[in-house]
Amino acid sequence: MVRLKNRYLLVNILYPGLDNKNVDNKNVDPKIPDVVVFNQPTTDSLTTHALVKGIKTEVSNLFGDHGAGAIAESIVVKYLSPATSTFILRVSRAQYRLVWAALSFMTILPIKNGKSCVFRVVRVSGTIRKAEEEAIQRARQLILKARREMAEQGDSTLDNMFGKADYGGDSMKDTLMVDREDSDEEDEDLSDGD
Amino acid sequence: MLYDLNVPWSPTTPSTDLQRTVSFLSSLGYQTLALNHLITGHLPPQITNPIPSEPPFSVSSTTTLLRRCTLKLADPTQNHRLPALSSVYDILALRPTTEKAYLAACQTLTEHSIISLDLTVRYPFHFKPKPLMTAVNAGIRIEICYTQGVLGDGNARRNFISNCMAIFRATKGRGLILSSEAKNVLGVRAPADVVNLMAVWGLGRERGEEGLGVNPRGVVVNEGIKRSSFRGVVDVVYGGERAVEVPKAKAKTVQSGIGKKGKRERDDKDIADGTPTVSKRQQKKMRLEALKAGKESSSPSKESTPMGDSTELSEGASTMIPEANAPSTIKAQANG
Repeated sequence: MVRLKNRYLLVNILYPGLDNKNVDNKNVDPKIPDVVVFNQPTTDSLTTHALVKGIKTEVSNLFGDHGAGAIAESIVVKYLSPATSTFILRVSRAQYRLVWAALSFMTILPIKNGKSCVFRVVRVSGTIRKAEEEAIQRARQLILKARREMAEQGDSTLDNMFGKADYGGDSMKDTLMVDREDSDEEDEDLSDGD
Repeated sequence: MLYDLNVPWSPTTPSTDLQRTVSFLSSLGYQTLALNHLITGHLPPQITNPIPSEPPFSVSSTTTLLRRCTLKLADPTQNHRLPALSSVYDILALRPTTEKAYLAACQTLTEHSIISLDLTVRYPFHFKPKPLMTAVNAGIRIEICYTQGVLGDGNARRNFISNCMAIFRATKGRGLILSSEAKNVLGVRAPADVVNLMAVWGLGRERGEEGLGVNPRGVVVNEGIKRSSFRGVVDVVYGGERAVEVPKAKAKTVQSGIGKKGKRERDDKDIADGTPTVSKRQQKKMRLEALKAGKESSSPSKESTPMGDSTELSEGASTMIPEANAPSTIKAQANG
């Protein structure tokens, strides 16, 4: 029988919204760099179950019963980390664009009194391993970036001595080529055992 | 470089909201942003640019902010003073609301560089390939603002998708610009998400990437050249090193005559040096004439010419001597 081909979407939840200005002014230090605010942790009340339900609702909103039926079989949240606001979603390869489009249309967390947020797909890959690697790498980069922004506020000495280093974040290609084809042959020898 | 040429701005926009939007856009990888001022109705008699050139908040060093104006156009026969408008802003876009205005924006008007349609309404006409491609071939780009679809209600979303598909079909994806027009920061999406969204509705991925990178870059560069260069054709890319001293007259002429820059500059230099403006050919002619005159005057007394020759010879000899005694030769002799 032919193997089921899947895609793994690595998704970040970002919080760009200015919510409840009163709360903001009291609790949030204005010195916190924007990168940290955008990538703040998600509440623990977001479960994988709620997430899948929310995505399914949005897909059926956008693509109707046909879309909802097409993804119902394959969609699974493989990994959810509220601390880094990251999750990995498995979808069948034929329908991953539908799910991705639905994610682009979601503006609030699919829970009760959900915060407004933006879902950003940062990587599409054929194997879950590649998605995991990317998640770890991104988390590391994020910490570095946050540190750097804090340092920039205090005018880092090293930068003064050696000139501004080019921390050029993501190049244009990296930002756009989210769904480069990772061959899913790679995990074949791993999954052969079962 | 990624571009988002439509970040809505109005005099009442709170700067905290704008700062959030700009900061979020630049953290998503967009590097050139254009603050967009939407003008509806009649233009004021004095056209000024209300967008501050320096925003009241700090922007990351890699981000460029431009100032753009979008004019809502209903009747193309009215005089909208487009040239005056475009000279005040960095980019000029038109938003036609009627078929007449749409056709005029595609075919006859030339001052703008972007046609930005409001895609959330249903238009009583079809988007046909001919007018759209005339515009694209003339260098005008069609803008698609995805936030209209993302944040709109059901009806707006439906219209947006149908209009998008019609435009993709008519242009085959050529000459499009994808931008946000995010009135709320929640409407902003990452570049890859935008490209995917458009891919779902029938715009190829390469075309989508063009719409975020190559096409808006073309608009920005063209508009820049239109404003800075001579008739949009010739521009000074690198003017070369200049002398430190700049006389006052020079600065004045540079401002007044851009077209004849080279000639003016040369004249000024001559004046600055204090030397008379005589070309080499002129000098040679004058020398020859002087020689001729000298010969004519000296022809009656023939003795003077050999005298002149002999002096020349002696001069040559005298020049020979110091050459022989040049320090290097003396040294060589001493060494030898």
